[in-house]
Amino acid sequence: MTRIKRRRRTKISLFASSFRGAHSRLTRTITQQRIRALVSAHRDRDRKKRDFRRLWITRINAVIRGMGVSYSYSRLINNLYKKQLLLNRKILAQIAISNKNCLYMISNEIIK
Amino acid sequence: MALLCASTSAIFSSSSSSERPSFASLKRTIPSNQSSFLGFFPVVALSKPSSARTTTLSFSKRDFRVCCQDLSLVPENQRWMFEESEADGPDIWNNTWYPKAKDHINTEKPWYVVDATDKILGRLASTIAVHIRGKNLPTYTPSDDMGAFVIVVNAEKVAVSGKKRTQKLYRRHSGRPGGMKVETFNQLQQRIPERIVEHAVRGMLPKGRLGRALFNHLKVYKGPDHPHEAQKPIELPIRDKRVQKQR
Repeated sequence: MTRIKRRRRTKISLFASSFRGAHSRLTRTITQQRIRALVSAHRDRDRKKRDFRRLWITRINAVIRGMGVSYSYSRLINNLYKKQLLLNRKILAQIAISNKNCLYMISNEIIK
Repeated sequence: MALLCASTSAIFSSSSSSERPSFASLKRTIPSNQSSFLGFFPVVALSKPSSARTTTLSFSKRDFRVCCQDLSLVPENQRWMFEESEADGPDIWNNTWYPKAKDHINTEKPWYVVDATDKILGRLASTIAVHIRGKNLPTYTPSDDMGAFVIVVNAEKVAVSGKKRTQKLYRRHSGRPGGMKVETFNQLQQRIPERIVEHAVRGMLPKGRLGRALFNHLKVYKGPDHPHEAQKPIELPIRDKRVQKQR
């Protein structure tokens, strides 16, 4: 009856085949580490959305503060909503990196 | 959506005629959704970045293209939005930019110099920390060191307001019981004046491996000169209006 155990465990160890050290070699540790890895992945799928939004906001803030005294991300977003511009933070951040002047033009337009 | 199109197209129609599109717009058209919705994206293609920008970032205008899977997927009437030459390259609309190793080489980072004479300690340290961490750059990444180097000269002349000169305490502990040593601002300034600015900036940098590495990008000197002339440091732009001590 060893073959049943072996079949189950090889399936699990396939998942952990790229782990470091004992985490890919010892069967009990493999089972545990697989569970932890899956839990992390599940939790971080939601976290990823939060993390990226934070990163975009920080990057936009960095560029916008260079625009003038007391202009900040919060005022930019307020102006965006007042002018009903539907750009989201991801696009704004990518514009900020690739083409800073474009972002300045956008913010100048919506300040008015 | 109509308001979006109208406002953005009105903004950029004037500049579009003269500017060459720098990179292609909408990357991906969902084949099922055959609308000819322009949206924001053509607008982005129309403004040319200033030439100064391309020198500071490692990726040139040519690299920063849109990776289109296949131009044949794009319906005929929308193919004008894409440029043939820019159909390969990193996809900027679906992947957030993350720095590669060549984007933060230490030898190509800018160096700033700031004279600390009669500048308020905390306000100066705050600006320095922002520049060292790279939080004024659009390429800011929390996990990588994208900041610049900062040189502080005349560190012994840094100013504090109020009675801090005699009342601000700097504490350190040797680890043994009863081993706490306390010094006032004045005493420390006579003993090791660089440590005051270093202590202030270190408190404003992140604490951790990256923070400790960032701290090494701060160079503080006592007198008016510094040994980093070869790095051609430029003046640190300070935006805080109250950093200069009022006499």
